[in-house]
Amino acid sequence: MAPPIKLSIPGDPKYLGLIRKVLQELLDSHEVPADTARRLILCVDEACANVIKHGYDGPCDEPIEATFTIEGDDFKVQIRDYGKQCDTSQIKPRRLDDIKPGGLGTHFMNEIMDEVSYCTNRAKGTLLTMMKKLKTELTSAHDKDKG
Amino acid sequence: MAIDLKLDKTEGSVTITVSGDIDMSSSTQMRDALTPLFQNNNKVVVVDLSGVSYIDSSGIATLVEGLQWSHSSNNKFRLAALTPGVKDVFEIARLLTVFEVFDSKEQALAH
Repeated sequence: MAPPIKLSIPGDPKYLGLIRKVLQELLDSHEVPADTARRLILCVDEACANVIKHGYDGPCDEPIEATFTIEGDDFKVQIRDYGKQCDTSQIKPRRLDDIKPGGLGTHFMNEIMDEVSYCTNRAKGTLLTMMKKLKTELTSAHDKDKG
Repeated sequence: MAIDLKLDKTEGSVTITVSGDIDMSSSTQMRDALTPLFQNNNKVVVVDLSGVSYIDSSGIATLVEGLQWSHSSNNKFRLAALTPGVKDVFEIARLLTVFEVFDSKEQALAH
């Protein structure tokens, strides 16, 4: 098992590009297909943006800690923040036929990831865990290479 | 992360060419550039996204504001030259058929 990769950024949008770059490098090193990598990166970016917007009420120096684990076919990312906790049962994507600005980030995460869960069972902040099976995508990429 | 924005105005229409990643840190910059275009006498606003490989929900939200402007003013808000990464995000958001999307800015201006 490859050890988890941990990265801590301040809760400021200007560091989102950094977390995307690190994750891109990690996924490239595991030969995750570009399309899949792009979608996973989008989910992590949206999760961090939600922390800044809702957990920290805007840009700040408080940390966002991301832990990436790739074990066999499983990609797992955990996003830990120390901001305001919210009622996780109320976190849901907006209706897509209701065309209006905002509210898409949660939809992206739920649509792309196999599992999305929030844990607020701690004194401060939230731990978001997202999982994705990579097997199908990796297999098809290898088959394509062989063909 | 900053984006580059270039405006190209012709009579009644304006093309804004965006380059870079559009995320929470840069979408405000795009919004600040787009908003005045909705207040002028522009019949057609084209956003050329050929230089954008990444867009998140905040960037999409800014473009949805353009869509709302076009609906309320009866003017045209068009997107051009979506890269595969950007197109994929629009597809996941089920917005590819909601916007007027063209392969190039020339095509977007010709219609």
